[in-house]
Amino acid sequence: MRKIIINIFSKKLSSGKYPATEDFELTGLRLKEHVSRVFGRSLAIRELDSGSDNSAEIELNNLSAPHYDIERFGVSFVASPRHADVLLITGAVTRNMQEAVMRTYAAMPHPCWVIAVGDDACGEGLLNGSYGVLGGADKVLPVDFKIPGNPPTPLEIMRGLISFMELLRQSGKH
Amino acid sequence: MDIVTTGLMTHLESKQIGSHFSKGKGGEYYLRVPDNGIVEAAGWLADRKDLALIGIWAVPSHAKDCLELYYAFELKHPSPALVMIAEVKNNQAPSVSKIFPAAINFERRTKDWYGLGFTGLPDTRRLLLHEAYPPDYHPMVDSNPEPLSSNLATTEYSFKEFGGEGLYQVPVGPVHAGIIEPGHFRFSVIGETIFNLELRLGYKHRGLNKLAAGKTIAEVNRLSESISGDESAVNACTFSLAVENIAGIDPPKRAWELRTVLLEMERLYSHLGDLAGMLVDVGYPIGASPFFILREEIMRWNAIFTGSRFLRGAIIPGGLSRDIEDGMLQQFKCFLNTFSRRVRRALSSVDESAWVIDRFETTGIVSPELVAPLSLSGPIARASGYDSDTRQLHTYGIYTGLKYMVPVKTSGDVLARFNVKAEEAISSIGIINETIARCAPGPIFSGFDLKSGQALAILEAPRGRNIHWLRVKNGTVEHWEVITASFCNWLAIEHAVINNILPDFPVINKSFNLSYAGNDL
Repeated sequence: MRKIIINIFSKKLSSGKYPATEDFELTGLRLKEHVSRVFGRSLAIRELDSGSDNSAEIELNNLSAPHYDIERFGVSFVASPRHADVLLITGAVTRNMQEAVMRTYAAMPHPCWVIAVGDDACGEGLLNGSYGVLGGADKVLPVDFKIPGNPPTPLEIMRGLISFMELLRQSGKH
Repeated sequence: MDIVTTGLMTHLESKQIGSHFSKGKGGEYYLRVPDNGIVEAAGWLADRKDLALIGIWAVPSHAKDCLELYYAFELKHPSPALVMIAEVKNNQAPSVSKIFPAAINFERRTKDWYGLGFTGLPDTRRLLLHEAYPPDYHPMVDSNPEPLSSNLATTEYSFKEFGGEGLYQVPVGPVHAGIIEPGHFRFSVIGETIFNLELRLGYKHRGLNKLAAGKTIAEVNRLSESISGDESAVNACTFSLAVENIAGIDPPKRAWELRTVLLEMERLYSHLGDLAGMLVDVGYPIGASPFFILREEIMRWNAIFTGSRFLRGAIIPGGLSRDIEDGMLQQFKCFLNTFSRRVRRALSSVDESAWVIDRFETTGIVSPELVAPLSLSGPIARASGYDSDTRQLHTYGIYTGLKYMVPVKTSGDVLARFNVKAEEAISSIGIINETIARCAPGPIFSGFDLKSGQALAILEAPRGRNIHWLRVKNGTVEHWEVITASFCNWLAIEHAVINNILPDFPVINKSFNLSYAGNDL
């Protein structure tokens, strides 16, 4: 108790440089607006790693960390493909993951969308031509949108989601 | 030559087995032995107790039309390793897995890639190639570029079977509930207590080794950064060191200083993430948040320094691709002053939570006896009383002149791993501070002329010992072998979880935080 009281009144340390904070908040609000309109206030995303180098997953996890906390903008990462609107796929699809990728997609309720995140998932990476990978996510699944980057930053992923929803609105498919 | 190598040669001589010694370009010792000498030599090395087998790989021979097997054992300064080379006859080699248990997965991997048979290998199932590959397909020897059908698997992998009253199995993965990498865990459980765990990895096998063959140095350098996302800098640096060893150059002092800053930043953000993850997995998000915040700030500094939040594209063979302004470095140093205080404050809030300590203590114990047989390394080994750090063993770069602490704990549980990672993070801050303080202006790149040759390079990654072995022919990569710390460290999890309850698995797994991608390559 004493500690908590001291903490309330203690001088806070400066928390360093936040180059993109203001920009980020604006992007977040735009994201929220799109989520509200297109997905009825909540966008449920299932992430699927089909053979990435783990950097894209780290950035997606960062979206839930305190600096970003993407859930306040209406985006949540769900545990099961059965709860998801969007399958977010990272990494080139390896031969060993092909079956799991297809089964995960098959478990999703329709309508659903597939977004490829990162150069490898977009089919642009270094791994093309290897015996171990089939190529980008579009070799296996119908990809609706691509967010390139090696890996894309959290902000780029959010901008990507906004553009994806703008496309959906324009096409009137939602 | 050191005492181990001379001792081994004398021993082999007494058994009338001839051996031939040569020194490699990375300082490593090569000892060529006949194939009947492998088991004898391995047996003698195993008797010394303190030697770890850190890798087995196969390389096509230059002189003859056959394969050669490389067995690497870790030595202390000045040589990083003793590498035994043995020619393989009739596509069959003796297995050393009875002498060094860590050899099992190395041999299984080699068998997958080359179709080599290992006499006496207790586990002959495929490791990295799953059922999607035809049974007799071996990527490194089969010239056919597309022999694989994209049909889905019809056969099933045979997991170890357990039976008995009250025992049931819980299969988990490859697709997990959270945002993590794919891998399969097969738990055999009695009630809630884990009786056995069998791992199945390899889902992310991307075929990096074969992909590198014939590529330029710059291309493979980029490829090395995609081995494992949060070990991008250390892999680029290990690869660069191997290239520099072959070319016989040493990058300028400033290049090594800045590399050290980047490598320690990588260790720092990796460890901070692990600490946060462990706290999340015991249900303490308030304790975890400060670590997430601190980690994000380091990742932003990564982007300021290198343009990449994962420190990509900065470290190249010969030095660095871009300089970091001194003004920036000084700013970062100021930032670190408050930063280290904040890390300590976050840690003290954990120390004062009795229930967190209660969850961590005696959970997921890796007993010290496992460290040498399984070739464990990094924070996991140091949490089980193994006082060994590649930075001190081989003193690459400027680490010789730096003062820093390498924490060692003996209890081997989650708490020990938490504390080792926490103290290493603080020690990394100290290293960065000291390195920036001594950083003087100067060139950051030295050019080199690369012809042909081979060399080994070992660095300490956040997860432990990181090994690259490279053979270059006329300036392009001919053979590239990568062994990340995760490859051996995964073995420890199967032991650590036994007799723990299933709900504790996430925190045990997170306390290791091993790389799936770095294991599967």
